[in-house]
Amino acid sequence: MGILLFITVLLIAACGLIYELIAGTLASYLLGDSVLQFSTIIGCYLFAMGIGSALSRYIDRGLAYRFVWIELLLGVIGGFSSALLFLAFAYTQGFQLLMYALVVMIGVLVGLEIPLLMRIIRGRYHFRDVVAHVLTFDYLGALGASLLFPILLVPYLGLVRSAMLFGIVNVAVALWSTFLFAQQLAKANALRLVCLVTLCGLGIGFAEAKHITIAAEDNIYADEIIFARDTRYQHIVLTRFKDDIRLFLNSHLQFSSRDEYRYHEALIHPGLSAIPAPRRVLVLGGGDGLAVREILKYPQVESITLVDLDPEMTRLFSTHPMLTGLNQKSFLSPKVRIINADAFPWVDSNTDSFDFIVVDFPDPTNYSLGKLYTTAFYKAAARHLSAQGLMVVQSTSPMFARDSYWCIAETIKQAGLRTYPYHVYVPSFGEWGFVIGSNRDYEMPSTLPAGLRFVDLKNLPTLFQFPPDMAPLPMPPNRLNDQVLVRLYDQDWKDISH
Amino acid sequence: MKSSRREFLQSASAALIGLSVKGDRPIAGSFVNDAFPQGHRLRDYASFPAAKQTVKVPIVIIGGGIAGLSAAWRLQKKGFTDFVLLEMNDQAGGNSRWGENEITAYPWAAHYVPVPGPKAVYVRELFEDLEELKNGHWEERYLCFAPQERLFLYGRWQEGIEPAIGLNEKDREQFRRLEDKIHSFRATGKFTVPMELGLSESTAPLDQMSFADWLLEQRMDSRILNWYMNYCCRDDYGATIEETSAWAGIQYFASREPEEKGPLTWPEGNGWIVRRLLERVQKFVRTSEMVHRVLPSKTDVRVFSGETEYRAQFVIFAAPTFLAPYLVQDLPRLNDFEYSPWLTANLTLEHLPDSYGGDPTWDNVFMESPTLGYVDATHQSLRTHVDRTVWTFYWALAEGTPAQSRQQLLDRDWNYWKEAILRDLERVHSDIRQCVSRVDIMRMGHAMARPKVGAIFSSERRALTKSQGRILFANSDLSGFSIFEEAQYRGVVSADRALGLLGR
Repeated sequence: MGILLFITVLLIAACGLIYELIAGTLASYLLGDSVLQFSTIIGCYLFAMGIGSALSRYIDRGLAYRFVWIELLLGVIGGFSSALLFLAFAYTQGFQLLMYALVVMIGVLVGLEIPLLMRIIRGRYHFRDVVAHVLTFDYLGALGASLLFPILLVPYLGLVRSAMLFGIVNVAVALWSTFLFAQQLAKANALRLVCLVTLCGLGIGFAEAKHITIAAEDNIYADEIIFARDTRYQHIVLTRFKDDIRLFLNSHLQFSSRDEYRYHEALIHPGLSAIPAPRRVLVLGGGDGLAVREILKYPQVESITLVDLDPEMTRLFSTHPMLTGLNQKSFLSPKVRIINADAFPWVDSNTDSFDFIVVDFPDPTNYSLGKLYTTAFYKAAARHLSAQGLMVVQSTSPMFARDSYWCIAETIKQAGLRTYPYHVYVPSFGEWGFVIGSNRDYEMPSTLPAGLRFVDLKNLPTLFQFPPDMAPLPMPPNRLNDQVLVRLYDQDWKDISH
Repeated sequence: MKSSRREFLQSASAALIGLSVKGDRPIAGSFVNDAFPQGHRLRDYASFPAAKQTVKVPIVIIGGGIAGLSAAWRLQKKGFTDFVLLEMNDQAGGNSRWGENEITAYPWAAHYVPVPGPKAVYVRELFEDLEELKNGHWEERYLCFAPQERLFLYGRWQEGIEPAIGLNEKDREQFRRLEDKIHSFRATGKFTVPMELGLSESTAPLDQMSFADWLLEQRMDSRILNWYMNYCCRDDYGATIEETSAWAGIQYFASREPEEKGPLTWPEGNGWIVRRLLERVQKFVRTSEMVHRVLPSKTDVRVFSGETEYRAQFVIFAAPTFLAPYLVQDLPRLNDFEYSPWLTANLTLEHLPDSYGGDPTWDNVFMESPTLGYVDATHQSLRTHVDRTVWTFYWALAEGTPAQSRQQLLDRDWNYWKEAILRDLERVHSDIRQCVSRVDIMRMGHAMARPKVGAIFSSERRALTKSQGRILFANSDLSGFSIFEEAQYRGVVSADRALGLLGR
C-alpha cells in the first residue's frame, strides 16, 4: 500500500511539471524570447501553487472525493492545454491570456494535490514520515519529468501528444485513487465511470493529435505545407495553395507548378531540339524530374543520366503521387538512370560522352555551390560533350542579377566553349537566364516536339535577344581560387532588395 | 521566414536534448612520426652494427625530403640513374610528409607553395613536369579555392589574415609606410626566391639587427602591425620578430610579387608534390635507412647505413645540416645553425562546429594566440557537401629558447598537448569538443632553420653552400630558412654540381 501511494505522488508531481514545461516551450516556440516565457510561466505557476496550498485549508470534508476530482480536472485541463494553446494561437488573439489562465488553473490544482494527499494519509503514518516520503517522491517525480520531457517527449511525441499522455496519467491516478481510498469514498463507482469517460476522451485526443497540430499550422503558414523534411543536405518544403504546388529548398523557391513549364521548356528545347540525333543526355541537378519530363519528349533519346546529390529528393519525386503527377513519372522511365552523387567529383571521374548536358544547380549563394559555376567545372563538364553535343546552364536572372548572369556566361566562354545566352519570363521567378555552351556553332532548331505550351519556333529567336536593361556587361570569369560570382550574386540581390 | 517557428521548435528541443545527453566526444589519438629516438642515438654516438656488404655507387643522396627528392628528380631528368637516396624514416617527404584516413589525405607539415615567380625557374620547371603549369596557365584545381584565409579578432572573423578591422589612423599609416618600404626593397631585386640569386652585400646590415628592432627604428610600433609581423615570422620561420633577422623579415614580404591568386595547395599539402616526385624516382629511394657514419677521403666517400657501406664519389647531404657534425668525420661543430621546434596535429572532425561561422575557409588564424591556427584538408575537395573533415593544426613553439621548447615537447605527454590544442580552438569554436574524435600529434624538435640575427650573412653558412669536398650540402637550411622553393633549389643545384664534378 505504502509504495503505491508514493508512486501516486511521483506521478502527479511529474504531471504538474510537464504541463508547466509544455506551456513554457510552446510560448517560447510561438512567441520567442524563451527567457521571458519560462520565467513568467514558472513564476505564475509556483505562485498559483501557493494559492492552491492556501486554499486547501478550506477543504474540511470529503478529502479523498475532492482529491479524485482534482486529478480528473487536472487531467482534462492539462491534457488539452497544449492543443488549446496551439488552436488559440492560430485562430484567436487571446493566446497569452489563455496561456496564463491555464497555467494558473493548473498551478492552483497542483497546489491543492499534495496538502490534501498528506492529510488523507496522515492517520496511517507518523507525520514526519509522511512529510519526508511525500516530498521525496514529489521531487523524484519532478526530476523524472524534467529528464523525460526533452529526451523522449518533445522529440518523439511532440507537445500536443505529450500533454494528452500526461492528462491520461492524471486521470489514471484519479481512477487508481478510487481504489486506494475506497473506504473513504461513498460513491466510488460513479467516480470510476467519470474517470473512464474522461480517459476515453483523452485517448481520442492523443490519437487525433496530429490533426490538431496540422489544423493549427495550416493557419500559421500562408500555404498548406504538404511536405517538409530536413535531409542530410537540405531542407525540403512543399506547399500547396489551391492548384499551385511550390518547392522550396533551403527556403529558396525552386518552382511553382503554375508556370514551371515555361522554365523547363526553355531549359531543354532550345538546346535539345538543335541536336540532329540526340541519344544520350546528362542532367546535373534537376532532382525534381521536371527537366527529365521535357527530355522524354524526344523518342530518339535512348538514355538519360541524372546526377543529383540528395537521394531523399529523387525518391520524393519518384514516389509522391502529387509530384509524380507534375513530372509525369519521368523518374520511372526505363531510360532514366538516377545517380545520387556530388556533381563535380562525378563529372571529374566519369568518362562517358553525352549529346546534351543540362546543368541545373541552385543559385551560387555560397562558395560551396559556387564551385559548380567555375571555369574548372565547365571544362570538366565539356569533356563529356560528344561532337554534336551542347550544354545548357541555368544561369540566374539577367534582370535581377545581371552581373552574375554575365559572369556565368563569361566563365563558360573562358572554359573554352562558344556561348549562346538566352532568357525567358517565368512569372513566379521573373526574367530568368540560361546559356548554351558548345564546341561548335549553335543553330536554332527548325522543329520542336509537339504539345509545348511556351516555346515555339516563332518566339524562339526572341529569347536570344536582350533588351538594354539586361544587355551584356563585361565581367571576369568565376574561378575556384577567385569566386567573384558569389560576391557578385550577393551584391546583385542586395541591390534589388534595397 | 515561413518555417522559422518550426525550426525554432526543432532547435529548442535539440538544445534541450543537448543539455541532457550531448557530452564531449571521447577523443582518441597519439604522438606520431617521432624522429628523436633515432636522432638521439646519433647525438649520443651510440654504437651501430658493422657493415656486412659494400655497394659502389657514384652518388649517394642522404635525406628524402624535398631537397633530396629534388636532387634525385634532377639527376634522373639529366639521364643519370646511378645513385641511391637514403631516408631515415619509413616514409620519404621530410617536412612534406602526409597522412591519410577514411575522410581525406592531410599534411603533416608543409602544406602550400606560393605561386612561383619568374626567378624560381626550377620550381616552374617542376610544376610544368607535374602538369600544374601548362602554357603559362596554372591548373585551377591546385590553386587554393576561395575563400582562402580568415582571421579571428575582436570576437569575429574577417577575410584575409592581415588585420583590416579595428585599425586606427596610426595603424593604417604604419601599414601604408611598411608597404611602401617593402615595395622599394622589392624593386632593388636583392630579395628573391631563391634567395641566393639576389643576395647582395649591400643588404648585410639588415642581417645585423632583429626584425623587431628594425620595425622600431622605422617608428613602426603599432601593436596590431607588430602582431601581424610576428605572425608572419612565426609562420615561415618558427621564430618571433625579436628572434628573426630583419633581413629575413623583409625577405618574407619583398621576395614575392603580388601574385596570381594562390597559393598552390592540395589536400595532403606538399605531400602531393612528394607523391608525384616519388612516382618518378621511387626506384632510387631506400627508406628506413639511417646513415650513421660518413667518411670522406681523397678518393671516395664511405657512407654507413644499417649493415651496408656505400662507396660513393660524391654525397649530396640533403638531411638537416645540423646532423652533419654527428655523421661526418672531422667536421667541426656548427654554430650558426639554429632550428625552431614545432608541433603539428591532425584533428578528425565528425562535423563542423556550430560555431564555425561563415563559409568553410582554408587557413584559419586567431589573433592573440600563440599557435598558428588550422588548415582544412578537405578545402580543396571538389565536393559541394562535406561533413567530416580533418584540420591540420600548426604551432611553432616560438616563445622561449629552442632548447627549452624541445625539452617541453619531450616532457609533456599527449594529453597535455591535446588539451592545449583544444583549449586554443575553444576560444573560437566553443563546441569543438563535440566535433573532434581524434587528435594525432607530431613533434618536431628541429622543424625548420631559424634565420636569427646574422644567420643569412654567416660565413659558416656561405662556406657550406660552396663546399669543395666530396660532400655537397643541399638542405634548405643552407638558405637560412626552410621553405619549399629553397629546398628544391638547393637540391637541384647540388645535383648539377655533382654531375659537373663527375664530369657529366
